[in-house]
Amino acid sequence: MYDVKAKKVKMKIGQLWENFGLLFLFVVVVIIFSILSPTFRTYYNFANNFRFSSLIGIGAIGMTFCIMSGDFDISIGSMLALVAVIGSSLIPKIGGIGGVLSTIAIASFLGFVNGVFIAKLKIPAFITTLGMLFVFRALAFIYTNNTPVYIQDKFWLFMGNGKVYGIPFAVIVMVICYLSAFLLLRKSPFGRYIIAIGTNKRAAMLSGINVDNVKIIIFTLLGFFIGVASVVTSANLGSANPGLMGQGYEFQVITAVVLGGTSLKGGNGSIGGAFIAAMILTYFKNGLGLLQVSSYWQYIAVGLILILAVTLNRIKYTLLGQVEV
Amino acid sequence: MSKIKYLRVALIIVVSLMLALTFTLAGCKKEAAPEKEEEEVAEEAAPEKKITIGYSLWTMEYTFFQNLEKGVRDACTDLGYEYVMIDQNSDPTKMVQDMNSLVGQGITGMVSTPVDPGAIGPAVEAARDAGIPVVCADIGKSGPVNALIISDNYHGGELAAEYLHELLKDDPNNTWKFGLGNLKPQWTYARERGEGFRDKAEELGYEIASEIIVETASAEGGFDTMQQIISAAPDIVGAFFSSGREAVGAANAVEAAGKDIMVVGYNGDPEELQAIKDGVLTATILQQPYLIGYMSVEILKEIIEDGAEYEDAVVPAPVKLITPDNLDEIAKELEEKRGQPAY
Amino acid sequence: MIKFLKLYEKFGIFIFIVVGAIVLSIASPHFLELNTILNIITQGTYAAIIGFGMTFAITSGGFDLSVEAVMGLTSVFLAILIPVVGIPSAIVISLVIASSVGLINGLIITKLDVNPFITTLAMMTIIRGVSLLVAGGRQIVISEKSFMTIGTGKLLGIPVPIYITMVLFIIFYLILYHTPFGRHVSAVGSNENSARISGLNVNLVKIAVFVLISFTAGVAGTIRTSQTLIGIPTMAPGFVLIVITVTVLGGTSLSGGRGNLWGTLFAGIFISMIYYGLNLLGVQIFYQMLSVGLVLIFALFIDGIRTKYLEKIKAKGIKV
Repeated sequence: MYDVKAKKVKMKIGQLWENFGLLFLFVVVVIIFSILSPTFRTYYNFANNFRFSSLIGIGAIGMTFCIMSGDFDISIGSMLALVAVIGSSLIPKIGGIGGVLSTIAIASFLGFVNGVFIAKLKIPAFITTLGMLFVFRALAFIYTNNTPVYIQDKFWLFMGNGKVYGIPFAVIVMVICYLSAFLLLRKSPFGRYIIAIGTNKRAAMLSGINVDNVKIIIFTLLGFFIGVASVVTSANLGSANPGLMGQGYEFQVITAVVLGGTSLKGGNGSIGGAFIAAMILTYFKNGLGLLQVSSYWQYIAVGLILILAVTLNRIKYTLLGQVEV
Repeated sequence: MSKIKYLRVALIIVVSLMLALTFTLAGCKKEAAPEKEEEEVAEEAAPEKKITIGYSLWTMEYTFFQNLEKGVRDACTDLGYEYVMIDQNSDPTKMVQDMNSLVGQGITGMVSTPVDPGAIGPAVEAARDAGIPVVCADIGKSGPVNALIISDNYHGGELAAEYLHELLKDDPNNTWKFGLGNLKPQWTYARERGEGFRDKAEELGYEIASEIIVETASAEGGFDTMQQIISAAPDIVGAFFSSGREAVGAANAVEAAGKDIMVVGYNGDPEELQAIKDGVLTATILQQPYLIGYMSVEILKEIIEDGAEYEDAVVPAPVKLITPDNLDEIAKELEEKRGQPAY
Repeated sequence: MIKFLKLYEKFGIFIFIVVGAIVLSIASPHFLELNTILNIITQGTYAAIIGFGMTFAITSGGFDLSVEAVMGLTSVFLAILIPVVGIPSAIVISLVIASSVGLINGLIITKLDVNPFITTLAMMTIIRGVSLLVAGGRQIVISEKSFMTIGTGKLLGIPVPIYITMVLFIIFYLILYHTPFGRHVSAVGSNENSARISGLNVNLVKIAVFVLISFTAGVAGTIRTSQTLIGIPTMAPGFVLIVITVTVLGGTSLSGGRGNLWGTLFAGIFISMIYYGLNLLGVQIFYQMLSVGLVLIFALFIDGIRTKYLEKIKAKGIKV
């Protein structure tokens, strides 16, 4: 009798954590830093952080799909730099809007290439993208002969710095991306396919899902979102540097996705979680900086919060009585 | 279960609505705000002038940047300014985010040592729009900065070539060949050091027999690169590395290979001075990060307090040659300035 | 044909080395010199040594991103300890500290059940922060000249790091292929659940593997430190990617269960040959990155074809 009751309570806590845990964590982070730092709690800083969380946030959408289907992509940082330098160098020829569109198109194509290598040639995603990490970065250097491309175009810059009714345009872009990704994942057959493949690839194949095609689409989508992220990032920086853009980006994005509750074993994932996680990470780092915490302690704090979050995630599953497969 | 799900969706919507509301409200307020803010600043400025300097720094991982930071900090203390520093952690996007944060904090003046000098443009613009002067301390600049104080990197390279020539010109074994170890091409400021060395060396009649980029930006990377340079051009008599740690590694590689090659570095970090003292490294070019940091705050002072006009100015910071002869003298000087042992 | 394919699985990367060596010796007059070849091998050993540990980790289904941070940590502790306790004890203590990072990794992975990728990613930043704190953000100069022997000394004309690598290789080879522990590592990697059901202490195996890889990172860190005589808290930035490349290129399967130590050794030398050789030719650094990436994809592409072919003839009923 007691056991059942205790179990029920545990279930409740687990459910609460699953549904509101990250939001709660985010609110806690914001409140703590707001109390400690007068700068942190200004509107200006809040909007600024929101804007910069979109750089990781947009990339995290595609990565969530990817990790949910049981794969990985570590080439996105190099891809970010490569498409940014190509796209922004095209501006004089085809204008800002054309540049933005072609950046996204090229990124989607590169994602498509990754997908074909992985699905058709059966090279594991990790290795393909590890190879591409070198290749993309090298191509970015070769294409520009290692000179940064400065971006003057109004439209392109608006993608990162513009404001609509006081809301940073980058944030609007991110929200649109997230809404469409959410609909895609929860309301379309494609979303079900991703989950099916991530949970059990063989079973998905046997049930008639064309696994190869779904994978190619996933990587193409990832490329698409990286393309968008690339435009927003380079717009914020006002330039595209082949060597410096996107260094370590892949790890930041994966951190956000995992912190958001997506299981690295595939199948289980949360688009909304990645969104909030990207915000948590950005606000957390900014807050530590504003509080004048030593850089060395910042490294340690960021590492610890990652392990802590993933551990809490595990505890959640235990409370829910589920064993993560 | 489904109830909770709806609740969650509802909560997310509520939170986003609240956020949107804050933004719109703040957005409206902002349009009216500027005049008021200026008034406030003017009012506050009259009775008690409180000047805050914000510093956005590349990284705290290396001695060079630590000394830069100390220079900025000491200058602020000496002038009675408040001081805020945010570390970019070598990440260009964090750099822009933090610089915007500093602008939002209402600082009076900004110093920046950018990891990606090409990417500070928008952030500098935002600062200038808010009436905050920006001075770049070393590395480089973009956008409407008031001033850039940067080591005379090209001249530093020239000094290295001249000193090697000085030592070698009467040497009967001089083969008139040098090696050159560069940093990765994205660090543009370091490229100039190599160019300065190459131009001067060629002018003096030397040939750059092998020029290789250091793959791993660390002392052991310099070790590897020197091994490669020795293989590619075994008969060189001197080599220049455009960064100090790498040069120390390179000098060790020369020793390990049993060769007689003189290595000159660039930076003047403690490990280089120690290596010169031990006779491993031949010489190094001393940059003066502490001075650069200090000068950048002094320029801000001129702009803020004295109303001096600085627009897109480039102030070269002098570099010095450190050889075994003047090592003690310079070390003493550095110690006095930094308040800590030079090596 | 089948015999050839079997051989390719083990020594495939060796073919790459031979082809690469022929091309480079034609292109560069300095390539076929004893010193150059010894240097290439030596520079290949750094990645290969950690690659041995990584081979174990990947074979057991794990992963370690924290190796470069461990190198830095070892380096800092060496620089601090050598003046205090002397060279031999400093090395021992530093290696113990390095290994204890692996112990922490292993404990977090097994006891808290956190994914190895995330654990070691987090540990990478944590350890880097710790090294910087311990070193006070400075590079610490080591004044004990004799410490240099480990990284730069020569015995019978061959650099000491090559001997160290050989010893480690033999030990790891024996462990992986000729001890129960090695079989356990493979068993855990190919199917963790069935390994657990058959009574294996899976957690212990995993912890041991992570201690091993951190130990190898410590050894590499020691060699690198002795070459420059500086304790560097931020040693070898980005090196972990090279280590993983070397391990995977060597033929260790990412799906676990199949490790190839020969491959790791040769792949380390091969990658070093690409960088060294192209530098001798004065090729720009971009093209080195490009070739490493392309070689990796190409090698795995060939490997995929090979596996498919073997499956095909297996389906025909021919014993492979």
